[in-house]
Amino acid sequence: MKAQPVTSGSTGTPPGAWTLALPEDASAHGHRIDALLAWSHRFDAVLAAVVLGWLVLAVWRFRGAKRAAPDGGTRRSRAWVLSLALGAFVVVDGTLLLGSEGYLRDVLWNFHVPAEDPRTVRIEINAHQWSWEARHAGEDGRFGTPDDVVTWNDLRVPVGVPVWVQLVSTDVVHGFSLPHFRVKLDAIPGRVNQTWFQAAREGTWEVACFQHCGTSHYKMRGVLQAMSPASYAAWLREAGRQAVQAYDADDSAARWGWEWKAP
Amino acid sequence: MEGAVSLFSSDHKDVARRYLWSGLGFLLFGGLLALLIRWQWAWPGQPVPGLAWALPESRGALTPPAYTAVFTMHGLIMIFFAVTPLLFGALGHFVLPLAIGARGLAFPRLSTLGYQVYAVGGVLVLASFAVRLGPASAGWTAYPPLSTPAFTPGLGQTLVTVAVLCAAASAFLYGLNFVVTVVRCRAPGMTWGRLPLTVWGLFFASVLNVLFVPVLAAATALLLMDRLLGTQFFMAGAAAVGGGGDPVVYQHLFWLFGHPEVYILILPAWGMVGDFVAFFSRKPAHGYRLTAGAMGTVTALSGLVYAHHLFTSGMSPVLGRAFMVLTLLISLPAEVMFLNWLMTLWRGSVRLTAPMLAALGAMVVFGLGGITGLALGSVATDVPLHGTLWVVGHFHLTMGAASFLGVFAGLYFWFPKMFGRAMHEGLAKAHVLSSAVLFLGVFGGQLAAGYAGQLRRLYDPYQYTYLKHLLPLNQWTTAFAFLLGAAQVLFVVNLVWTLWRGRVAEPNPWQVGTLEWTCAPSPPPDGNFASVPVVLHGPHALSQPEVLARLGRDWIGQAEPLPDAAVAEPATVDAKCADIGRMPTVGGIT
Repeated sequence: MKAQPVTSGSTGTPPGAWTLALPEDASAHGHRIDALLAWSHRFDAVLAAVVLGWLVLAVWRFRGAKRAAPDGGTRRSRAWVLSLALGAFVVVDGTLLLGSEGYLRDVLWNFHVPAEDPRTVRIEINAHQWSWEARHAGEDGRFGTPDDVVTWNDLRVPVGVPVWVQLVSTDVVHGFSLPHFRVKLDAIPGRVNQTWFQAAREGTWEVACFQHCGTSHYKMRGVLQAMSPASYAAWLREAGRQAVQAYDADDSAARWGWEWKAP
Repeated sequence: MEGAVSLFSSDHKDVARRYLWSGLGFLLFGGLLALLIRWQWAWPGQPVPGLAWALPESRGALTPPAYTAVFTMHGLIMIFFAVTPLLFGALGHFVLPLAIGARGLAFPRLSTLGYQVYAVGGVLVLASFAVRLGPASAGWTAYPPLSTPAFTPGLGQTLVTVAVLCAAASAFLYGLNFVVTVVRCRAPGMTWGRLPLTVWGLFFASVLNVLFVPVLAAATALLLMDRLLGTQFFMAGAAAVGGGGDPVVYQHLFWLFGHPEVYILILPAWGMVGDFVAFFSRKPAHGYRLTAGAMGTVTALSGLVYAHHLFTSGMSPVLGRAFMVLTLLISLPAEVMFLNWLMTLWRGSVRLTAPMLAALGAMVVFGLGGITGLALGSVATDVPLHGTLWVVGHFHLTMGAASFLGVFAGLYFWFPKMFGRAMHEGLAKAHVLSSAVLFLGVFGGQLAAGYAGQLRRLYDPYQYTYLKHLLPLNQWTTAFAFLLGAAQVLFVVNLVWTLWRGRVAEPNPWQVGTLEWTCAPSPPPDGNFASVPVVLHGPHALSQPEVLARLGRDWIGQAEPLPDAAVAEPATVDAKCADIGRMPTVGGIT
């Protein structure tokens, strides 16, 4: 942690424990997920109210009734059941499916955005028990050169440009998550996974591991600083300069990066 | 029959009792482990009162290694050694042959063998707590490479892996046994359309056991070879030397079993809810065929949705989209079934007995668990919730709380038949009601914490600044969990008191028509029926006008012929079974 306190960026006041609230959204696209989730909550509330109301009403009204209907429903009542189920299914699941598909098409699985934006920042992350080792391609924009900036549990990204992450693990399965950016991706030994996001404003946020990865899983915490493009560029220049100075061509363990994989 | 439980009898009722006691024992154990997890989230690192004997070095406080073992073993024990054995081993073994008019299971010795294999697994689980480095700690999913010796070297992890193989073998054996029994051993006249919904639920779940438990066994066996023989099936890097190993293969194999498993755990409970709602509304189930068909549809889809557990694994977008569509699709049959339950209550004559309260409770918790799962089935909304306590709350409401209430609905319902003694209704009602309400408190609290971002399996969630404000919420949830644990005393007291000096049960205390109540005494003798019943009616022939007119009661045995209107003789219990003539009706122990 640097000077800035790690809290929800804007006010520093954490949301109340009793409000059903997602972590604050600091990303450029997360609001679409949040809106879809809000819809799913409205549906949940309506469905729960209808079902519970129906159940309570039926029990209250028919408890110990003198007579009970002798049939298992009529053709008509069964048709009602089918059409109600179908109606709820089409509305609720349809909304989730279409909303989700839109997000996948535009953001989550659309790597054209980071690939085609010349400002895109690329980061290689190597997860291991129990830290996040990040490799920023220095000013030359290429990995595997002496000016690569390697940090531990300390990610730096500029605000307002796509950040493209490629992720590996060298030991067990880890989960790279940025709760405030609606990012989650497994780090799996033997493969390079990738995702991208875009920070909407400056601030310091947390990186969390979401896959059980051993006894100190809970300590696999990192910090992500979203900086203004100018201060990011200044940081990268200075850190790259130091990296070049400290570069040791014989230290093969320090050169764990890879050629950036095309999508 | 009563008294000393025969350890080697292959009668399905004896096997059921063995599973019942073992399952209840493991349920208690798994529940205590859950309370340890809850304690840790409310008072992280604080000594647990009364645990100093087990963890002397930390004076009873959970250490990170102990904590990982505790949540791993909670999951494994609850799924493989408590809930599945209670639903299938105890209730399934007991009810299935009786309810279809069979004298026993198709392969009686196979069911004895199945219990013995399960018992070996149970012993291994218990033994694993005594070995150096403790029991398994790689999560119940045991993802490699974490579960390989390089990262979890303890003997306990190996013992528990073998124990899971044992539980899988036992589940496969009774699954096969149940399927064959239902297909081949139904009494004359017990058509598929006359099966109680409980039998449908057990049947479909057994089909899933037969199909998908071998997948678990294969994955676990390969993992065991990685642990013991130096193979590298699930080791990355093996690919580089030509071996082709890949940790992701394990994840796919595991969830190809793991997702059907949640339906294995809930289908029998669904069946019981369907039956009990009909029995205690005193009317036939609404849309019986639709409900059975819906359960069948869920069964058919259950193996085709599993990869929603892997939405964040970097799978191809084509696969991700396909599994999203299939996952959402499965909510349609579930809705049909649920609406049928509600419609069964309507225009019935509702009786709030203990099994009925448990069934209604199961409906409520399952309903809430179901709708909170929708957001996990669509990829975009899954991202913020994946791996959080939202997932935990969701699946605990469905396969935890709903299955638990299903188990106790069944147990309170069939206890008089199993032991010839009736449990105390008041205590039973208090138990299921308080459990249902507290389940909502516990798992509702987990849903809220997960929504706010709390990740699963964190020893100390408050290491994260963005989770610090959740401490009070977690403390409340923990308080509910401890109350839930305390509420189980109501069951234990009831159980002990009933077995010791409970009231002798009437032959048909619930006044329903299914074969176990109308054609066999309580408890049923070896061979169940004096002679095999000939089934004439469906399972819910309740409140039928002609039965009311001629018998003066609102139910008729499934094998009971309707007398001619001219016969004025009042029907007695003895006449309720077409083919068995007069038989003693004194239940059980006297």
